[in-house]
Amino acid sequence: MEELQDASIHHMTAKVISAIKTTKSYEPIYKELQRLACSPNVDPIDMRNTLEDAIKGAGLETEIRNIVYNLVRSRLSKPDPTATTKQLSKTTLSDPLGYLKRAGVLWDRRVRKSLNAMCTELKVPLHGQPRISADREDFMAKWNELSNYSMDLANYRPVYAPKDLLEVLLSLKGPAKTTENTDEIPQWEFSHIALPVKNLFELRTHFADLLRGDGYLGMPDLTTQCQRILETRHAPMCQQFLKKGCTPAPYRGALWAAVLDSKLHDYDIEHWQKLRNTVWTTDHIVDKLVFKDIQLTASNDDQYFVFEDVLYQVLLCFSRDTDIGSCVDYEAFPVKGKTYEGPPSGVVPFHGICMFAAPFCYLYDSPVNLYYTFRAFYIRYCHRLTTINTHPQGIVSLCLLFEKLLQTYEPQLWSHFRELQIQPLRVVFKWLMRAFSGHLPPDQLLILWDLILGFDSLEILPLFAIIILSFRKESLMQVASLDNIESILADLSSIKVLPLVQLALSRD
Amino acid sequence: MYMAGETLLGDWTQAWRVTSLQPTLGQSTATMYGRLPGSNNAAGGGGGAGIGSGGANGGGGGQGHDKLKIGFCTDLDKSVLVNNFEKRGWHQVNGDDDWHFYWAGVQTCRNIFSVDSGYRMHDNQMINHFPNHYELSRKDLLVKNIKRYRKDLERDGNPLAEKTESNNSSGNRYLYLDFVPTTFVLPADYNMFVEEYRKFPLSTWIMKPCGKSQGAGIFLINKLSKLKKWSREAKGPFHPQIAKESYVISRYIDNPLLIGGKKFDLRLYVLVASFRPLKAYLFKQGFCRFCTVKYDTSVTELDNMYVHLTNVSVQKHGGEYNTLHGGKWSVQNLALFLEGTRGKEVTDRLFGAISWLIVHSLRAVAPVMASDRHCFECYGYDIIIDNALKPWLVEVNASPSLTSTTVNDRILKYKLIDNILSVVLPPDGVPDVRWNKVPSADALGNFDLLIDEELAAQDEAQNSTTTTHAKASKMGSRWK
Repeated sequence: MEELQDASIHHMTAKVISAIKTTKSYEPIYKELQRLACSPNVDPIDMRNTLEDAIKGAGLETEIRNIVYNLVRSRLSKPDPTATTKQLSKTTLSDPLGYLKRAGVLWDRRVRKSLNAMCTELKVPLHGQPRISADREDFMAKWNELSNYSMDLANYRPVYAPKDLLEVLLSLKGPAKTTENTDEIPQWEFSHIALPVKNLFELRTHFADLLRGDGYLGMPDLTTQCQRILETRHAPMCQQFLKKGCTPAPYRGALWAAVLDSKLHDYDIEHWQKLRNTVWTTDHIVDKLVFKDIQLTASNDDQYFVFEDVLYQVLLCFSRDTDIGSCVDYEAFPVKGKTYEGPPSGVVPFHGICMFAAPFCYLYDSPVNLYYTFRAFYIRYCHRLTTINTHPQGIVSLCLLFEKLLQTYEPQLWSHFRELQIQPLRVVFKWLMRAFSGHLPPDQLLILWDLILGFDSLEILPLFAIIILSFRKESLMQVASLDNIESILADLSSIKVLPLVQLALSRD
Repeated sequence: MYMAGETLLGDWTQAWRVTSLQPTLGQSTATMYGRLPGSNNAAGGGGGAGIGSGGANGGGGGQGHDKLKIGFCTDLDKSVLVNNFEKRGWHQVNGDDDWHFYWAGVQTCRNIFSVDSGYRMHDNQMINHFPNHYELSRKDLLVKNIKRYRKDLERDGNPLAEKTESNNSSGNRYLYLDFVPTTFVLPADYNMFVEEYRKFPLSTWIMKPCGKSQGAGIFLINKLSKLKKWSREAKGPFHPQIAKESYVISRYIDNPLLIGGKKFDLRLYVLVASFRPLKAYLFKQGFCRFCTVKYDTSVTELDNMYVHLTNVSVQKHGGEYNTLHGGKWSVQNLALFLEGTRGKEVTDRLFGAISWLIVHSLRAVAPVMASDRHCFECYGYDIIIDNALKPWLVEVNASPSLTSTTVNDRILKYKLIDNILSVVLPPDGVPDVRWNKVPSADALGNFDLLIDEELAAQDEAQNSTTTTHAKASKMGSRWK
């Protein structure tokens, strides 16, 4: 047994080492290490110990630890891609979730296909075209005030909206369905999907830290704690701190960047400038979609309209960033048919995509800082909300979790919805897909996102949706139409995240 | 901060009822959400029926005074007013009838208080203006009163009137009382202005007619010749109305704090229940008013008023006015943004300085105000923040607009009126000048106490050891 453990540690170490070598931070760290090795403090006779001390002294150790932590959390937790392709053909038929993966691939294809169709219809090329010089100059001059950059968007519309994804999700059918008696399975439930989701008890265990009373007497106040943790620069400690759900606003930006490993390096700034230059020099159909989306959402939102110009910059650069495509995992499943090209980032803008970036405007004053933390958050979390996938925190699992919680936690509401023939999911889907952005006021939304980062889980979203329904249950029980239900749930401005989540988790 | 489930419940039951009328901003294009109300009145009616009072109308308008049916009178036919009055069970009467509560225009108020009218108010009557509110709301008088206030303090050797030591080009400024941009009244102070102008030939000045509001008649000047030209024209036969009018000319704050590249000013609501002793409250839900056009100091833009003026009444005529948010951003969001990007300390200092500015502007006029016990007044404070996060008082409006430009605006103004009523009325809800005007914590609603000189004096008397701090504690600023 011990041997096995040893072997697995070695295996992991090898994986981590090879992964580190592919990161952008490898080169600067390697150079720094070389510099340290030559420094007078490092004694060639006692190389091992003195070099270790020097590494610690220079703060390089923390940096390496954070890199390992992040690699293990993200890339290395994924199955080896070469292994998957090999297995794929074998497991396709027997995989009980095969239909779900297939749906994921088809959804992605459908989105890209509509983008292609839009290009054909509007007679614009799918690929970036060099901007004509007058346009380029105009664009550069107005870079800080892109809301004043005029373009005709009358013919553009969002490629898809939450509603479209919801319709696809609601029509998901398992392979077993056709043979079974269809009367027994309601058309609009998710329960037949065989994804494992937590029950309330497991959620309580998962979020147990939220209920922990704050420390003992003599504990320094939150601000001091926060400052000390940031001084250590340890990503796991920063993550732990976010679990409290009472992050002091001035430190949130730094904590999030630490947890998401999005602190700025020189190469990041260069990369940002490169992206910006690409936007300046090439005209791409996604630009129109980005402008359209911001005009339809953030520019009209009384919480975010002041930041519209920052959002233009961030989302335009986002659309050109090919790094995103390589970080995001898509479902792989062999499906016949034509494949379609997407934008450079691989992410086709949908209605409301800018609302994922908007809350970051309250954290960072400079677009470049905002960009990297937003990008990391998008890759780690948001992406799972807009694609059909089998990830335990993907939108399908979250929808399933929502339904199961509603059934067990609020059976009365469940049957009320059932009697009215209204899918409960219809009511909350927009919250889930946007992670509540644009629905909760920013101060509360940031607390909710603190919890997402702190517990590294999107499961808080369906849980919180249940909490709101449960909280407004009395009113919901009195109305009988979708319109009325939605009007009861339309305004979340009085909702306080932390006390409600704590109340729900502690209730017997 | 914990909140009991019941409190929260109370909170949202109020909130959701209005939401059937509220469009969900920034959401999907799908029209599955609420609809915009068809008209002001219809929506107001819904709001009136729905929005709770925040538990502030304790006792209601009749209990304990069963005989007294409260009659209200209003010169403004605004749903936010009428709905609030009717919610309290009051009935509408004419100005000639026996009214208990009058929401009057300034002219009506002047008539009521004029000696000629012979009208004498009885103990159960209240009115929403002080007879000579213009001491605060007229731009020239405000400046005059503040200048006098500073001089008086200086003469008394009060440490508040301390000045900077330096003899640099900016001259000796007041350390603590420098919160209005340098201002002169024209034509009276023309020579003083020219002297100041010569000291800072590169600055821009803003001209405002003293008696007008909502951005009317305002223009910018960056050359003395332009002022001279204006003055010649004004004296000419074609503009007799300008000649009669006096103007103020103030140093233009040309380094405003920009957010998202846009200029804004603050509109805050301040309720004064009494001037002597001074009792003032600050409404927590103020807002930032944003220009819809980018800020640009270049000379070509000097005449584009949309860039410089943030008044909604000016902005509304701009091409890019957005009817969903109306260019209004909440003060809470401003605080969240500043804390997140600049830190807590500077944010607290800014909001502390804002409270300070309000209190001292009120103290400056308190001695000259006719502090009639029948009166209270809600002022709209317009404040600009510069890029060093220093607030500047631009002007004070004695009749801030009660027109709602957006749905959130209506909710805010409904709440404002509701909270004003619960602060100025005694707990039983019947106007009574004999009441000591010390509202309970519940009755404050969204108002924070800025200053209550009477309570501060009591504290001082009770605890002479902490006299110096007692006043300060009564002037705390709690914004969140």
